[in-house]
Amino acid sequence: MARFPRPTISLFLILSFQIIFSAIAFGSDFQESDEEEFSEELLLRPLPDLKVLAHFHFESRAPPSLSNSHGRHHHLFPKAIAQLVQKFRVKEMELSFTQGRWNYDRWGGFDPISSSNAKPPGVELWAAFDVPQYLVDASWKNLTHTLSGLFCASINFLESSTTYSAPEWSFHPSSGSLRYGTLPREAVCTENLTPWLKLLPCRDKAGLSVLMDRPSIYRGFYHSQQLRLTSPEFEGRLESGIVLKQTLTVVLQPDSQRASNTYSSETKLQPSWSLSSIFGRKVTSRCVLAKSSNVYLQLEGGLVTELENVQKENVISWIDNVGSEGWRTNPFFDLSVNPDSVLREVNGLHGSSSSVLYKYSVAKYSDSRPFDLGLTWKSPVVWSCPQAPLHASRFLIGSGNERGAIAISLISTGSNEHFLGANIVEDRCKLEVDIFQVVPWYVKVYYHTLRVFVDGQPQAVTDVVEKMRVSPSEDKVSPGVMELVLKFPCDIKSAALTLEFDKGFLHIDEYPPDANQGFDIPSAIISFPNFHARTHYFEDNSLKKSPMLSMFQEKSRVRSYSEVLLVPLTTPDFSMPYNVITITCTAFALYFGSLLNVLRRRVGEEERFLKNRAAKKASRLAQLLSMLSAKIRGKKWEPPQSPSASSSFISLKLIVKVVLVTGIAIAWQYYSQ
Amino acid sequence: MRFKMYGSFRCRMVLLLLFLLLDCNFSNCLADTSSEATTHTNNWAVLVCTSRFWFNYRHMANTLSLYRTVKRLGIPDERIILMLADDMACNARNKYPAQVFNNENHKLNLYGDNVEVDYRGYEVTVENFFRVLTGRHENAVPRSKRLLSDEGSHILLYMTGHGGDEFLKFQDSEELQSHDLADAVKQMKEKRRFKELLIMVDTCQAATLFSQLQSPGVLAIGSSMKGENSYSHHLDSDVGVSVVDRFTFYTLGFFERLNMYNNDSLISLFSSYNPSMLMSTAYYRTDLYQRHLEEVPVTNFFGSVMEMIHTDSAYSLLSRKESFRVEIKMSADKSVPDKKRLMDNPSDLDQISELNIEDQHGALKRIWSTIQKEMEKVEDVDAFVSYGLVLIVPLLAVSMWLTW
Amino acid sequence: MEPKEQSKEKKEKLWFWNWLIASVIFRLVLIYFPKNLNLASRPEVSTPLTSLRRLAEGYWLKQLSVSPYAGSMYHGSPLLLSLLGPLTVKRIEGQPDHLLCSLVFVIADIVNAMLIRATGQNLQMEYIRSLKLLDHVKLLEKPGKIIPSGDIAALVYLWNPFTIVACVGLSTSPIENLAIILSLYGACKRQAPLAAFGWVIATHLSLYPAILIIPMILLLGYGPDTPPRKLFLQRRNVEVGDNPPNDRCCEREEVVHRPEVPHIFSWRPVIHFLCWTSLWSVYVLVLCGISVKRYGGLWELFKRTYGFMLTVQDLSPNIGVLWYFFAEVFDFFRNFFLIVFHGNILFMMLPLAIRLKHRPCFLAFVYIAISSMLKSYPSVGDSALYLGLLGLFVNELADMQFSFFLFCGYVGVSLLSPVMHNLWIWRGTGNANFYFATAMAYACLQIILVVESVSAMLNHDRMLRKPLTELQDGKS
Repeated sequence: MARFPRPTISLFLILSFQIIFSAIAFGSDFQESDEEEFSEELLLRPLPDLKVLAHFHFESRAPPSLSNSHGRHHHLFPKAIAQLVQKFRVKEMELSFTQGRWNYDRWGGFDPISSSNAKPPGVELWAAFDVPQYLVDASWKNLTHTLSGLFCASINFLESSTTYSAPEWSFHPSSGSLRYGTLPREAVCTENLTPWLKLLPCRDKAGLSVLMDRPSIYRGFYHSQQLRLTSPEFEGRLESGIVLKQTLTVVLQPDSQRASNTYSSETKLQPSWSLSSIFGRKVTSRCVLAKSSNVYLQLEGGLVTELENVQKENVISWIDNVGSEGWRTNPFFDLSVNPDSVLREVNGLHGSSSSVLYKYSVAKYSDSRPFDLGLTWKSPVVWSCPQAPLHASRFLIGSGNERGAIAISLISTGSNEHFLGANIVEDRCKLEVDIFQVVPWYVKVYYHTLRVFVDGQPQAVTDVVEKMRVSPSEDKVSPGVMELVLKFPCDIKSAALTLEFDKGFLHIDEYPPDANQGFDIPSAIISFPNFHARTHYFEDNSLKKSPMLSMFQEKSRVRSYSEVLLVPLTTPDFSMPYNVITITCTAFALYFGSLLNVLRRRVGEEERFLKNRAAKKASRLAQLLSMLSAKIRGKKWEPPQSPSASSSFISLKLIVKVVLVTGIAIAWQYYSQ
Repeated sequence: MRFKMYGSFRCRMVLLLLFLLLDCNFSNCLADTSSEATTHTNNWAVLVCTSRFWFNYRHMANTLSLYRTVKRLGIPDERIILMLADDMACNARNKYPAQVFNNENHKLNLYGDNVEVDYRGYEVTVENFFRVLTGRHENAVPRSKRLLSDEGSHILLYMTGHGGDEFLKFQDSEELQSHDLADAVKQMKEKRRFKELLIMVDTCQAATLFSQLQSPGVLAIGSSMKGENSYSHHLDSDVGVSVVDRFTFYTLGFFERLNMYNNDSLISLFSSYNPSMLMSTAYYRTDLYQRHLEEVPVTNFFGSVMEMIHTDSAYSLLSRKESFRVEIKMSADKSVPDKKRLMDNPSDLDQISELNIEDQHGALKRIWSTIQKEMEKVEDVDAFVSYGLVLIVPLLAVSMWLTW
Repeated sequence: MEPKEQSKEKKEKLWFWNWLIASVIFRLVLIYFPKNLNLASRPEVSTPLTSLRRLAEGYWLKQLSVSPYAGSMYHGSPLLLSLLGPLTVKRIEGQPDHLLCSLVFVIADIVNAMLIRATGQNLQMEYIRSLKLLDHVKLLEKPGKIIPSGDIAALVYLWNPFTIVACVGLSTSPIENLAIILSLYGACKRQAPLAAFGWVIATHLSLYPAILIIPMILLLGYGPDTPPRKLFLQRRNVEVGDNPPNDRCCEREEVVHRPEVPHIFSWRPVIHFLCWTSLWSVYVLVLCGISVKRYGGLWELFKRTYGFMLTVQDLSPNIGVLWYFFAEVFDFFRNFFLIVFHGNILFMMLPLAIRLKHRPCFLAFVYIAISSMLKSYPSVGDSALYLGLLGLFVNELADMQFSFFLFCGYVGVSLLSPVMHNLWIWRGTGNANFYFATAMAYACLQIILVVESVSAMLNHDRMLRKPLTELQDGKS
């Protein structure tokens, strides 16, 4: 809340503009001469459910390796990444560490952030290589190992062919050189963030990254740390080198005493927050190496609509009055700092009104006067985020550890009426949905049991499924991959897919230490190819094209991840492999020995044996035993001449031997202790 | 000292890409080339927390405290192999996210901003532990996950978890036997991977884990004798579990007094353990260790302090450095063809597999060549097969009629 | 006298047919139960090799022009796939799913029963003839001594709960059994092509019947079961040796004219059999080759079917013991134990063949029992087969030991093992060892059955021999 007399402000403005323009000139110089450049940006957005979204965006570019004369020398671009790209010839790569689930219906499912920065929990890695087909797997293996060393995570578990898959068309337009793998149960913590920050030229010592105080970030509801690099030079486009985008998306709950005491969510006042209150730190200075370091505050379309509805009586909209006070204060909230400029979204596709962006440039702040943006709400306001046409969720059906079924349910959010114009396939409107699902091999899916329900009515698979690719899972070799293109009528209320599966049984060594916790099925990707999340902000000056905004502009299909499923598998008894082995072998020995004994018995010697047994009196016990066995067999007992009696006598001897051996064993046990 | 040149992270990455392939023998060839004068040149630390699950919070706290101590005493991060069997800092049960405390006065966050965990979660297995010790990794394993020690290095090996008579449990699923440990240490000695090794174990009946050790230059400290338990120190009611074990707690108490430049001897450390405080008697095995503990400062193992060697002629030292350069250069240009080899290897394998698939097919083709040819003519395979199946019946009838 | 005999014969025939029709009706009733009582998903019924669900998955993949063996779902033969596959997708309105397949299996069961019956009658004629030759008239004259073993065996097979469950539970084992029984029948009837066809198909469907080639050859060479050859020789010596009184002349006449038993090995049918075997196998291989030529050819086929059988890859529980063994055994011993367990089947082949070469049908029964006990994925269908065949030897095995104990054991195990499975898999209260214990008990029962039946058969031969020896003793 730094309030300064007007002249100082204007002075600072002038100073800052000078700096900015110098920076622009600098940057433009960079553009011509192929130099590396780096830019840092932070987007803040109040969310309808009293939370705040913070989205850091760091982008650093390296010139094409061929063009720069001085070999592999980098002064801004992280050398590790550059060498990784050069060594494994990575065309495109995206690595994300995520904890928590992105709440699509509350935090929005249609804007660029939700469709490109909402990631499945754990680690997700996909990479496209520029190597011949038979080398792709090897490069993938090495890449996973390198990344695991780089980011202190066990990404190297993705090297085994049971964990990664090669999606063909539903995930990414890229060709067969793409590999995709996820580790849903990978923990994400400080040790992953630190090396990620070390890739920045200023680390977390200066610039916006100072804000990343670990406890406050990991206390959030959702955080996704992402590293995406594209090196177009492998496609022969030599004019641009490697582009490294590092984004960190956090959803934080500002601690608010005033808001928490009113419980009716309708009239609940949004909690006021400031950078220092949610991050516990302030931005003291910009990273001097950065070409541009800006902070944006985004008001979503819904919120802007509310504001405008209230301010109908004002002749001129509150955005358009140029007085700087008008930006800072309005009936709903106060801003602690004056924005440098306000950007409006052009042709807001979704929502009746278009969102608004307040832009701050960090350049003019310093240790003496740190930048601490604060937003103070004055009156409660309720709005809703733009939604994806269908809300996807996935769950398991069935009980017991033998079989079950996976169900994907798509429920219309009702927000796709105004898209009807967008995609008209021949006469009637069709809603196209892509589904990409990877299932580990120990969940044995019967793909012929795929059933589709539209609005509760079962439908024939053929008239809903437009295109389908299934590569069934192979035991201990490869996971099962299913890629679907579904076409629904636009006016559907709900749709559901079910797939039955059998639960596999693993070898005792294949179970993890906490086997009874269950196994994870990675989340399915549901994307809408006809819907593109892009927000284009009108910028007065085309020279300073901010990388984050330009990323918001590029067409990216709306995509949402489903839940991760937890499948409990039955476990064998881990404690007694030796018993099983010995008992089984005993049974086989019994079979072998007794059958051989029966076969090698000869008649002559038997009769001789009988004779001299008849000569000397048979022992009482033998007779009793044979009598007993005769009773059991329900036959009248005749004095033992028949071979049966003899065999019973043999069995008696056997019993005696067994008893003897066991006695010795017991004695041994007893005395050995 | 040559490692100090590559202190920073990026240079580590450089070497990562450089030595990606020949790390396993890298330490050996260094050991071979560097002359027999085995002076204490560098320090390594392997810190292992072997137990999983939230209620074993204290084991991770033990390990992290040791990690912090050795870092404070000067062992750089790339020479510490830290194995944590579970994630406590960002555990959902942790009231203090991204923080780990070893004391109920939450003064010191062990899980500061700069911790590098090399093996974590399911990676912490007995197999990986032995791979680290004996340096037998597969080629792709990055450098940060390897113990690249040589014959001049002092290694501190700290392990904590749940143990018993001559074993130590890893993740509640497998055991590390004392024989295995002794065997691994023996291999390390034969591969000249260490000059001196200090094994420090904080488990129940820790002393029994050393009973099989034979290699010279090994020093062992255990928290408890055979038949004794090692107990946790105190319980933190905020975190909800006990946060540190007694043995480690008092070890830290000893080290907190020190900085890099103290030279308290090991004997003072050993004598600092008070059985009545530990509620167990600490055990030292010193018979394999040649030097007198009085003149061995603890920083020999817990820090990274080199003693100065005075050489009358600087020339020889230069020559040695020269030899190192040569060594590293040659390894570098050795690594280049190796990288090529890596890139070719899969292709070779692929060709080989293709080959033997080929000759299998060849065998089949030789048998069925003619049939294959006419099979090509068949368009609708299924119809053909079903016709064949139907044809079986008349064939059977005819044949039986023939032989009637 | 005569008409009464006739009427009794007719009555017996009618009695048999009634029971047969009753069994068919019973099966149909079971089929019309909803979801056929979940029998299709029981581990005892549907192993990875015999479950029709996996076959349907394979057929579906094939329709997608993916290899039916892609993914480790289907491991059966491509011929079975093209035979049953279309039936799995065909649905009749208002009828339960897989009705057609169930009907196929029912028909297969009926044919099995008829073939067993025919074989039994054949064996019995042979038995009576050989007894006549040996003048064991007292054995023949004892009323009710000779039981119509064919009918008994057929009814045992039809009404065996194992058979019914395997037939209703949509497992392909009735068809595998059909092939085996067909080969036995053909061999008994000395129909070389039929026997060869049955053997080839059986071997193709489930690898283990390959060992039946020894009893096949013996059957075709020596003819159906007879007492040991030695007895006839001794018998002849006795007759030649003694000089009979005059009132025995007529008998001596018929002694002279008595048809001689062929105790010399006749090679001709064996040669036929081998030729036909090679012909049929070529035919089957060609068909398979054509049907899988798009999916990696025959080698891939063998790897996916026989390789899957021999290297026990699927560890899902069944009534055998190998699944749990290989789930627990250490990986570096795995190959060794694979060799040992499959060797166990082969070790016993030769001794049994030497000792029982005069009773090839019984030898075949023993082989089938052993292989169904030691095979990698056993199911109750296999047990049903050898229990049915056991009925063929009612007369010989009349005084078998532990028969009551075995019966109780079978009943007990077949009641306990579902309970244990339920406790382990569904309730989660028991653990795997419970179920494994029942499997172990079942294996032991089978072992005892095999051993005791073999020893009983040997004793029976001894008993046949005894009067001769007495005769000789009296003479000398």
